[in-house]
Amino acid sequence: MPGYYDIDDIIMEEESISVVFQVGAHGVGLLDPGSETNSVEKGAKVDLPFWLAHELYLRQAVSISVPACFSQKTRKEIQADAACVHLRIRCPYFYELGCKIVPLVSDKSIGSFLHYAFTHRYKEILSKSHSASVATVPKFLTRLTKEESQLFEAARSSMLAFKKWRLGGSRLEKASILSRKRKTTMPTCPSTP
Amino acid sequence: MAGQSNPDLSVFSAPEVEFLAEDEMVEIVPNIRMEALNMICGDYGPFFPQIASKVPLWLAVALKKRGKCTIRTPEWMSVERLTQVLEAERESPREFQPLPFHYVEISRLLFDHAHDDIPDLYMARSLIEDIRDVRFHKVETGLETISGRTHAVKLKNLSAMEVNIVRPFMVRALQAFYKHDSPHLIQQPRAMGSRQPQVVDRGPRRDLRPR
Repeated sequence: MPGYYDIDDIIMEEESISVVFQVGAHGVGLLDPGSETNSVEKGAKVDLPFWLAHELYLRQAVSISVPACFSQKTRKEIQADAACVHLRIRCPYFYELGCKIVPLVSDKSIGSFLHYAFTHRYKEILSKSHSASVATVPKFLTRLTKEESQLFEAARSSMLAFKKWRLGGSRLEKASILSRKRKTTMPTCPSTP
Repeated sequence: MAGQSNPDLSVFSAPEVEFLAEDEMVEIVPNIRMEALNMICGDYGPFFPQIASKVPLWLAVALKKRGKCTIRTPEWMSVERLTQVLEAERESPREFQPLPFHYVEISRLLFDHAHDDIPDLYMARSLIEDIRDVRFHKVETGLETISGRTHAVKLKNLSAMEVNIVRPFMVRALQAFYKHDSPHLIQQPRAMGSRQPQVVDRGPRRDLRPR
């Protein structure tokens, strides 16, 4: 479960989703750029960040429509070849947003769609992550969502750490504070004799 | 017990795993006469020339560095044993052969510090590399079988370093699968009523490797 201070969870809630107002709202005209008065009409379609849409939904002020990243088009693409779909462009917090939005929309197939997408993309991440080379960042990394790229990085960094250890080098690393101290004493050395 | 290098993830870094491996006992043959060493972790010695004695790896390496002993290569690190293990690893694609829990670390420490005590150094080194590669490939193919139905993964005979490498990936993958497979998210559109009671049992436990 995401913690209170989980920065990804916070950023994810900024994702804008489109809602339809079920009631007229006065004094919130800034929410709707197309509005001419300082109020939002009943039935107006507005893009709101998730955190606001969620709160309004709980008060039954808006109804939430399914975001574009869970559209039929995306689903078809995922079914065709899950690993090739550029999900980061669609929504960098694809899975997180999906999980949060399932209880809020009428379309209940999003949950199983998320599971399908992750299961199929996971194989691709697995096969590439541990064998990824040190220097180059693979091209497919840009297609991954936040959660997937964290998974990929977890595998890659642990493998890199192991390879570094195996190649050896000094076992004891000097603390940065020690080397700094030495630099400051250096100029004084020539002056002492 | 958790690693100190990254308190958030509670994982060990490779040098930390190596540190733990240094407590494994090895046999040394001292070439000096020395009183017993009384350490917090135990008493070692007294040491007599040419009389073998068992000490922890860190002590063996320290003595070796000062030229005060030779380290006896452990029995499992002989070329014959390693060849057998490698063959067995290749023959059984779903099982890991029993090796010391810290075999990767011990072998590296010995190769680094006691290379003149190891017969067939290059052979042994490349055999260990091969064994590690074969085993890691098995781990990877095993990870492919993880799905939403996997609760726990059983990895028998996997060594400390191997576990440590796959730990961050595996933990994250299992968490992600668990999240996406939760019954709140996946609802059967038609069968949520009384016809099909809520499934508490989330499927049979799947082992990564058969027992």
